[in-house]
Amino acid sequence: MASPAPPAPPPALTLPPSQFARLQPHAYLLAHLSPPASSNQLSIRANGRAPSQFRPTSANTGSLTHTNGSAVVRVGDTTAVCGVRAELLPTTDIASWSVSHASASSSSSSSSSSPAAPKSNSSSNSADAEESQIQDLNLLVPNLSLSTGCAPGFVPGAPPSALAQSLSYQILALLHSTRLVRAEDLRVWYEGPSFTGEEGGRMDVDVDVDAEGERDENSAATKKEIKAFWVLYIDIMIVSLAGNPFDAAWAAVLAALRDTKLPRAWWDVDNEMVVCSDVVSEARKLTLRGLPVASSFCVFEADAAAGWRAVIVPDADEEREIEDTAKRGMLRRWILADPDGYEEGLSQERVCLVVDKEVVGGEGKTVIVKMEKNGGWAVDSRELKQLLDVAAARWESLKQILEQC
Amino acid sequence: MVAPSATLSTLNRADGSASYQCPSTGSNILGSVNAPVELPGRRDALKPEDATIEVFVKPGTAPAGVGERYVEGIIKTLLGRVILGREKGYPRRGVVITLAVIGGESVGRGDPYLVLLPALLHTALLALLSASVPLSMTFSATVLAVDASGQIRREPSAEDAATAQSVHVLAFSSKGHLLLNESQGSFDFDTWEKVRQRASAICHGTQLVSADGDVAMVEDVDGRPLEGTLRETVEDQVYRDYNWKINAA
Repeated sequence: MASPAPPAPPPALTLPPSQFARLQPHAYLLAHLSPPASSNQLSIRANGRAPSQFRPTSANTGSLTHTNGSAVVRVGDTTAVCGVRAELLPTTDIASWSVSHASASSSSSSSSSSPAAPKSNSSSNSADAEESQIQDLNLLVPNLSLSTGCAPGFVPGAPPSALAQSLSYQILALLHSTRLVRAEDLRVWYEGPSFTGEEGGRMDVDVDVDAEGERDENSAATKKEIKAFWVLYIDIMIVSLAGNPFDAAWAAVLAALRDTKLPRAWWDVDNEMVVCSDVVSEARKLTLRGLPVASSFCVFEADAAAGWRAVIVPDADEEREIEDTAKRGMLRRWILADPDGYEEGLSQERVCLVVDKEVVGGEGKTVIVKMEKNGGWAVDSRELKQLLDVAAARWESLKQILEQC
Repeated sequence: MVAPSATLSTLNRADGSASYQCPSTGSNILGSVNAPVELPGRRDALKPEDATIEVFVKPGTAPAGVGERYVEGIIKTLLGRVILGREKGYPRRGVVITLAVIGGESVGRGDPYLVLLPALLHTALLALLSASVPLSMTFSATVLAVDASGQIRREPSAEDAATAQSVHVLAFSSKGHLLLNESQGSFDFDTWEKVRQRASAICHGTQLVSADGDVAMVEDVDGRPLEGTLRETVEDQVYRDYNWKINAA
C-alpha cells in the first residue's frame, strides 16, 4: 500500500487587505502604525503616508467663468469647488444706514486714538475704524454644500446636514476673525464735485488715518460718501469628500478670494444708481490680509478594545506614564495629519490649527489665528506645540501651491 | 468676580435639568436632559454599542442657525467622551440634551459663540448629573479674552470679547486633562500657554507645578475654583434631596 500523500494543508482563511480593512478597521490601521519589531518596517499609515504628512494638494483658480473669482482645490480625494459672486448692496437698501452711518462718520474722525477700536495686525497698514461693517452688514456670505453626492453618507439634494452647516459657520467665523477681506475693498464711494477747486484726492488715496486731520476740511467740502457695498457670496461645493473637508474648503475659499476681481463701480449722478464698468483692465483684485492656512489632525488611539469595552480614563499622572512608554518606543497614540475618511471614522479627537506668518523684523513669525481641539484628552500643550511646527510647514507648502495657481 | 450660580432639577417633566447663570458674561442657560430615550428611526449600523448623543441649542430670540449647529457639534463631541454610553441600558438609546439661552446677549450671525460656550457646557454637565447619566469624569470650562496689551481677562462680556485680540475657551476634566480648546483671533503660542495656565487655575484652583516643584495657589486672584463651585451645587442638591433620609437617621 502506497503511503498516502501528505495531506494538503487546509486552505488558510485569507482575506485581501481591503476586506480586512473593512472588517477590522481599527486593527488594520493599528497594524500599519505599529508593525512588529521583527519586521523592520516603518510605522506608516494605511494610506502610505507618514503621520505628519499631508495629502498631495493642488489648486486651480478661475475655472468658473460666471463668477468673480473661483477655485478648485483638491486635497487627496477631497475636492472643494469655490465660487465668489459679488453683488451690489446700495446703502439705500440698508434699513439702518442713515442712522448708523451718521453716528459712525462723526466718530470716525476721532477714533484713530480710541482704545475701543480693535488694533489691526501689525502687518496690515491701515487700522480701519469701520472694519466691522463687513460683520454688521453681512457683506460676506459663505455657504458650504455637502449634498452633492460627495460621499455615500450624504444624500444628494438633501437639506444641509449638521456638518455642512457647522462648516459654513466655521468659514464665516474665520473670515470675520481673521478679517481677511478689507472693508475698504467692498465700498463704492461717491465723491461729490469739488467746488473748492483743489485737486481732489482720488477715492483710493485717503485711507490713511494720519492725514485725516488736514483732510477733514477737504472731505467736508467734497462730501465723500459710501453709495453701495459689494456683498461677496462665497459658495463652496464639496464635490468629493474623503475626510478633512474643512482644510480643503478653507483653501478653496482662500484661493477663490485671491482670484476675485471686482469691476470698477461708481455712482452715476444722473441715473442715481451704481453702474459698473465692463472693462476687464479696470477691475481690481481684493487685497487680502495675510494668508491663513488651516491644517487638521486627528488622534488615533491604540486601544484595541476601545470598540466594546467600557471607557477607562487615565489620570493625568497615568498620562505621564503613557508618555514615558512612548519615549521607549511603545507608542499608544498617533497624531495623524490631514486624516482621510477612513482615519476620521476611527478617531474621536480632532485638532484644527489655522496659522499665518507675518514678517517681524526680517524673520517670519507664526501667528495662530484659530486653534481648536476637542473630543479627547491626548493633545495638550506639548503636542499642540509640535503640531504648530507641522502647521507652519504646511503653511509654506500651501503658500507655494496657491501662488503658483 | 461674581461666582456663577446654578440650580439643579428645575424642570419636572425632564429626566434631569439645570439652570445656570454666569453674571460676568451675562449668560443665563436652562438645560434639560432626557436619557435614555428610544430614538425613532435609529440606524443600527451607526454605532450599535454606544448611546447616541443629541444636543440642541436654542437661542433666546431667533430660530437656531448655523452658529448653533456648530456649538452643538462642539458640545456633542466633548460629551461623547464624557458620557459612558456603553453602560447598561444606554447602547442604541439616545441622550437628548436641550440647552435654551434664556438671557443675556443674543448672538448674531457669524458672531463668535465662544463667550456662551462655558455656560452651555456647565449647564449640560449639571443637567446630566441631575439625570444621573453615567459619566466618566466631570469637567469645568472657562472663557478668557486677551486684549491688545496682552492682558488676560476672565469671562468677558460679549462687547469685551468683540474688541479683544483673541478669545479662548478651555475645558478641563476633573482628572486634569485639557478636554477642549477653542481659540479665535490672532495670538502666539506663548500667549496661549499663559491662557492655559490661567484657565487651569480658574478651573482647578492651583497652578501647574513650576520647575522647582512649587505649587502656587492663586485662589485669591480668581476666587473659588469653578470645579468646586459645580461640585458644591450638586452636593447641595443631593443633600436637599436626601434630607428626609439624613434627618431620619
